[in-house]
Amino acid sequence: MKKQVIETDLDSNVHDSAFTRRTFLKLAGMAGGGMIAASNSPKLNALDFIDSSIADQLKPSGQWLPTTCQGCTSWCSKQIYVIDGRAIKVRGNPNSKVNGSASCVRAHLGLQQVYDPDRVKTPMKRTNPKKGKGEDPQFVPISWDEALDTIADKIMELRDNNETHKYMLMRGRYSYMRDIIYDRMTKIIGSPNNISHSSICAEAEKFGPYYTEGEWTYRQYDILNANYILMWGADPLSANRQISYYTSVWGESIETATAVVVDPRYSATAAKSNLWLPVKPGEDSALALAIAHTILTEGLWYKPFVGDFIDGENRFVAGKSVTHTSFKEIHTHGLVKWWNLELKDKTPEWAAEKSGIAADKIREVAIGYGKAAPHAISWVGGGPVMQPRGGYTSMACHALNGLVGAVDNVGGTLKANKEYTQSFPGYDDFLDDIATEGKGHSKIDHRGRLEFPALNSGKSGGGVVTNNAAEGILNEDPNEIKVAIGYMNNFNFSAPQTERWHRALAKIPFLVHITTNASEFSWFADIILPSTHHMFEKYGYVKSHGNGYRHVTLLLPVIEPVWDLYTDETEIPWKLAEKLAERGFDNLLRHYQSYLDPETGKSPTTAQEFALYALKHATQKLWDPAVYEGGDKFSGWDEFVATGVWNSDPYPYRKRWGNMKTVSGMFEFYSETLKKALESHAEKHETDVDNVLETCGYQARGEIAFLPHYEEPKVWGTKTEYPLLFVDYKSRLNREGRSANTTWYQELRDLDPGCEAYGDVAQLNPIDAKKFGIKSGDKIKLISQVGELICHAKLWEGVRPGTIAKAYGQGHWAYGRVAADEFGKTPRGGNNNDIIPADYDRLSGASAFYAHTRVKVVKV
Amino acid sequence: MKQYGMVIDLQRCTGCGGCIVACKNENNLPEGISWSSKITETKGTFPNIRYSYIPTLCNHCENAPCVSGCPTNAMYSTEDGIVMHDTRKCIGCRFCMARCPYGVISFNWEDPHKSWREETALIPAGTTSPVELVQQVGGNVTPYYNPEQETKYAGIRPRGVVEKCNFCAHRLENDQLPYCVDSCPANARVFGNLADKDSEVNQILGKFKSTRLKEEQGTKPKVFYVREFNRSTYKKTKGGV
Repeated sequence: MKKQVIETDLDSNVHDSAFTRRTFLKLAGMAGGGMIAASNSPKLNALDFIDSSIADQLKPSGQWLPTTCQGCTSWCSKQIYVIDGRAIKVRGNPNSKVNGSASCVRAHLGLQQVYDPDRVKTPMKRTNPKKGKGEDPQFVPISWDEALDTIADKIMELRDNNETHKYMLMRGRYSYMRDIIYDRMTKIIGSPNNISHSSICAEAEKFGPYYTEGEWTYRQYDILNANYILMWGADPLSANRQISYYTSVWGESIETATAVVVDPRYSATAAKSNLWLPVKPGEDSALALAIAHTILTEGLWYKPFVGDFIDGENRFVAGKSVTHTSFKEIHTHGLVKWWNLELKDKTPEWAAEKSGIAADKIREVAIGYGKAAPHAISWVGGGPVMQPRGGYTSMACHALNGLVGAVDNVGGTLKANKEYTQSFPGYDDFLDDIATEGKGHSKIDHRGRLEFPALNSGKSGGGVVTNNAAEGILNEDPNEIKVAIGYMNNFNFSAPQTERWHRALAKIPFLVHITTNASEFSWFADIILPSTHHMFEKYGYVKSHGNGYRHVTLLLPVIEPVWDLYTDETEIPWKLAEKLAERGFDNLLRHYQSYLDPETGKSPTTAQEFALYALKHATQKLWDPAVYEGGDKFSGWDEFVATGVWNSDPYPYRKRWGNMKTVSGMFEFYSETLKKALESHAEKHETDVDNVLETCGYQARGEIAFLPHYEEPKVWGTKTEYPLLFVDYKSRLNREGRSANTTWYQELRDLDPGCEAYGDVAQLNPIDAKKFGIKSGDKIKLISQVGELICHAKLWEGVRPGTIAKAYGQGHWAYGRVAADEFGKTPRGGNNNDIIPADYDRLSGASAFYAHTRVKVVKV
Repeated sequence: MKQYGMVIDLQRCTGCGGCIVACKNENNLPEGISWSSKITETKGTFPNIRYSYIPTLCNHCENAPCVSGCPTNAMYSTEDGIVMHDTRKCIGCRFCMARCPYGVISFNWEDPHKSWREETALIPAGTTSPVELVQQVGGNVTPYYNPEQETKYAGIRPRGVVEKCNFCAHRLENDQLPYCVDSCPANARVFGNLADKDSEVNQILGKFKSTRLKEEQGTKPKVFYVREFNRSTYKKTKGGV
């Protein structure tokens, strides 16, 4: 079929232009190329290509320099192609055994971030004293000295009034240099309020693995050796974690593995899997428990790991209890209890009614999964667990790995391999009385209170409750916050129910934002400090794992910072320490001066030296042959920097069988570990576990609370008033929340299945769209109990009827000219967090993003 | 002589679009133009659906209608099977675009890289204008401009001419693979010499059934597709009456 000829007035355009085809053809005769400026446009280069005889002499002249990408938390090791100090392109670092040369799509967008014209190029201060979403701060540029002087004065004011606990540090995108600013600086100033972003990330994902196998961590999945991959909301071809690696091996992995995706929305990974189970949001645990039930009734549990009935006869029969003494467990604990108290009635028929997946399908998956034991992965993603009550879903989904012996096993679920980085020098010697007193106050996020157990690694209040810090600030509970610094965070965009943060941030009298771009958080700041870009301009390191390895990968400054910028976690704290020392408080500076260069023993004298020495110190056991412990060996620092990454030893399969960091030492179906944590939290509050559960909004009482069990999803809004369940998800182009200002993001946004280029669409099933009279392309408003957003509609079959799916990442009303429709005023698209209510899985402290938001849709 | 061609393995491809961005990066493509692109479709009715993705690019046809139709020979075939474009000879008539059944030739309707020539800063003196940024970093129209692309094709094609994929001829001359092939994280693109019976592309084409886009048009495309993007299974059944 012939391509349609497009009607235009092209000819008139061409001839009217100051730079016409004729001009070009005339100039094209010039040999050797050169810069030709069109009269109206700067340096529009009409370079014709070079005469071939000269071309032969022009060989690639750049260098591939190592660094790390933090576009998501895959934290791939990368290389940047640099010519004459300019970053040109991005690829995977072939020296990494985790990702090799593979690079996911989002990494390239980093170029448009580091070279973003809307990056803040100098410190700025607000001149409009009023703070609010619609209030233009009227920023004016100031010098670094003025900015840091002002901040130092504010901190000293707190010190002089013994109010250091009213200082707060908010941490966003970090590297493992983080403790310098997040921990040491906060403590030495004298505040307990270092608030990380972790619970708006995926803490509930870690809850299941911790309370079963004793590891509060993200996992790596051995998919090349797996025969069954059952993914719970995980979309590894688009979103966390180790996307580059999984993308590189997926085609091979599905040769031998059956891949099943459980997700209300048809994801990119679902398109490349054998089966899509479009579960009703919030009902994943029903499905997981029915699968567990079936594995047991069919006798498919992995006997060398779990054990067996003493006489070998399977007594797991639906509805019937089993005598404890009839079963002998090997490396697990509490299987019979789990069956008797929870699983025995959780048949596929029961789960079908809850989950919306047919009973025979559930049975088919359970049997397929069980038969693939032990090479059968149950992959816990963020969607099913970052929900109110999601911690128990995390346990249920992860426990399947225990049933089939996939834990720590070939083709199974693995933790991170051992690595040998070390922490920064201690701070004890640098705490004065003011600091000791100040940091002893309780934290602004209320972790550890009765209603926020946040049981990270078994400890009451062990984890942050990021989103609740807004309440603490608003209610001045336990105290007001007077001086706050946020770095590379954007909580009033990235945390649920954003309007609370608008109010909270407006309340803080002095707020500093360390950021690359003037974002929504910056809009409330008194001072902005422009920071370096983590992938191109910063010294640091992060650790990640995949492919059976852990890598420690360096963030390196491959180019000079584009402007007069300093690094968030190292250089800025140093410069602030210098200012504080000028004012008579030199504890922080003296502490930082103790970070000696391991090679020379020198103490740092500048911010840049400090950043480098700190990095060399933390990574010393990786690059210094004198203190080598394992993994890759280097001749010294220089070789390490040139390589950019250290790889661990290969994975020690099954080393942890019978030797897990749980109370029993075994893989716990009945979690003695969770029991201990809950009892300890209850005791701290002079109450009992049932009261803790009731206060925290869980349905379980008694023994069930220590088992993976079914909890009904908690939902905001009734079906009649808000007919659709909102399904948030993450775009494969998201660099966390920071890539919407790139043109490549907007141009290619339809790389997410069912989405549109230059669009921010909410996807509806045609059945629902018809009900509400909505067509593709309609401008619509999504309204929840707590907020509303405007976007466009897209009808798509990949959406479960009764739900509406929309990717997070757009809806910026600040950040830049592409991300926002009108900078500082109107958003481009809609921010999901505007409509998601602030709720929590309180046992983990995690913010809920999924399954609890009901919306209604209206045309606008 | 060589006959360059490509095999795309749809089983390895995950539809990530890395090839699309990488090509734009390597070849200094303006906003709105992609030489590496895709055809996607969602078929079926919930829940029995499939989303498929086919990466597309110039097929460097042996019997290229863009070449035979070009009035100035700006579009021509090289000895090693690349369909090349010479910006100097192009008069922007777009006859090649009308002739090409694949829609892989793009036209520069505007001065390219419009957004990089804006002169306003969002926050006066606090941020910068695109033009100033390009100057600050020593770029050329764009800040991440790749000068190595200029050896075989114009680095910035001006308004009024077409442009298209040239198999990264500037890389081939240095024994480097086309950038889309190099950047694909899934190793889904395989490049090589179709005239060499032992090349990897021919090994794959020998073992696997392949398809090409719009073969019936007689263009003899040299981009081949093997295997399937979607994998699925179904329980064995004899159906029913």
